[in-house]
Amino acid sequence: MSTLIFTLKTSPVQRVDCSPLTPELLTDKSLADIAAIELVTGNSTARVDSLFDMSGDDTADIKFANSTDKLDFVGRNMTSGKISIAGNVGAYLGLFLEGGQIEVTGNTGIYTACEMKSGQIKVNGNVGDFLGGARPGYKNGMTGGTVIVTGNTGARTGDHMRRGTILIEGNAGDYCAARMISGTIAVLGDVGTHLGYGMKRGTVLLTQAPTKGIPANFNDNGPHTLAFLALLFKSFTKLDSQFAKTAAFSRVQRYTGDLGGIGMGEILIKI
Amino acid sequence: MIINGVTIDETFAEAFPMKGTRLIITAMNAKWAMISAQAFTGFATSVIACGCEAAIEKVLDESETPDGRPGVSILIFAMGGKGLAKQVETRAGQCVLTSPTSALFSGLDNPEKEIALGQNLRYFGDGFQISKMIDGKRYWRIPVMDGEFLTQEKTGVQDSVGGGNFLVLAESQAQALAACEAAIEEMRKIPNVIMPFPGGVVRSGSKVGSKFKALNASTNDAFCPTLKGQTKSELSPEVESVMEIVIDGLTKEDIDKAMRVGIQAVCDLGAANGIRRISAGNYGGKLGPFHFHLQEIMA
Repeated sequence: MSTLIFTLKTSPVQRVDCSPLTPELLTDKSLADIAAIELVTGNSTARVDSLFDMSGDDTADIKFANSTDKLDFVGRNMTSGKISIAGNVGAYLGLFLEGGQIEVTGNTGIYTACEMKSGQIKVNGNVGDFLGGARPGYKNGMTGGTVIVTGNTGARTGDHMRRGTILIEGNAGDYCAARMISGTIAVLGDVGTHLGYGMKRGTVLLTQAPTKGIPANFNDNGPHTLAFLALLFKSFTKLDSQFAKTAAFSRVQRYTGDLGGIGMGEILIKI
Repeated sequence: MIINGVTIDETFAEAFPMKGTRLIITAMNAKWAMISAQAFTGFATSVIACGCEAAIEKVLDESETPDGRPGVSILIFAMGGKGLAKQVETRAGQCVLTSPTSALFSGLDNPEKEIALGQNLRYFGDGFQISKMIDGKRYWRIPVMDGEFLTQEKTGVQDSVGGGNFLVLAESQAQALAACEAAIEEMRKIPNVIMPFPGGVVRSGSKVGSKFKALNASTNDAFCPTLKGQTKSELSPEVESVMEIVIDGLTKEDIDKAMRVGIQAVCDLGAANGIRRISAGNYGGKLGPFHFHLQEIMA
């Protein structure tokens, strides 16, 4: 068995919905069956083999080569297996992800890990807005799993996030953890303005104070040694991430907010 | 069977099924982890009146605990899952939550059968408590006056065995106690078992029933040296003191191992140190399904 590789022939004019190409949906399908699958692109459909060159046969290990940001919904509803993407990828990567692993060598579009439930996504690049968020009009974003971003994230990272962990090795954009319900977002770099806007619960863990300051709607709770951080850092050691190499700390300055709401969210800054 | 001049009776210890769990208490230093563990396992010698049997299993160093602090592992057993859950919750709430710098974790993974650990203690946080899912396990951070009390939400439960035992029959009280101390020292090296009585030793072994209706257990008169002339005694004239070691374990095999090393330690002292016999407590096989035959264990 070798990795099932979809090599994009040319960058499509219209966006392509790649949600049918997940390990569980391709199980027991022959290469000919897979080639005949119709993918929605723009206002029509196109056969898989009209868009991709195909090789390999292991449907549990899928690769998108020569990928571009026109490929949307990659890994939608995936429950097991692995998808790796060489290049950039479009919106809604890992939408409703329930298990398995997705790894991207480039950048991803908006709504990456949208309403993700479990599993792991690693992006070796930058991520667009609404990472780990909820679809427009929905109230629960990511509810489990781990997202690792080696680059930067766009605005509203963790919007409506309910559970799970987002680890950002670069910087996070504006409105990080906005409307966050619970879960953990850790950032090794800087964060933008309006951090934790409308945040209800959850934890934002920072290794440095934000250059744009702590929002006025967060109160300083003072310096503390928090035992759970030792467990959190221990859990990071299994990951392929800078967080695994980051020296664990449990001494933090604790801010709580958003005081415009229930004010149970926390921003923890290493001291 | 005679080992080093000590007679091993052809009898068996009778044990019964229990439900058990392991908990790990950590603290800022080993001293406070031990204080908390001692409080948790206080008044937990026998299910007859304590509701559970609990004791310290071992001291843990920083590398062996979930949060990298010094700790102590505890085993606690009760007759049923509900009883165990009640004992764990009340003891955790009154003895660990209250203990400075403490944190409380499950030491037994069994996703199929779990009981609450911090699941209800969290309400002490009065709405300020915080839940954290780490590596698929839920923890509760409860704000307390010295900082935060961290506790795992649940702990696993497993079918266990309680009431393994053996009796040390000696020529004097001092010799019986010295032999029991030697046994306990060796038995504490065995994982998955506890000896829940004070210092691991019982001087008041009991029989089932009593002449007094209110009591369901009373002194084991057959092994009381001062009653040799008053009751149907099991003791020979040379025996002046009898002490018992009771063992609870996560499995029958764990108790087997503990009994073997304990009896061997007693026999190593031998007849030269006043040890005459090793016997065991049983109720004719009517109390429990687990029988520990002394001669088989020592064969």
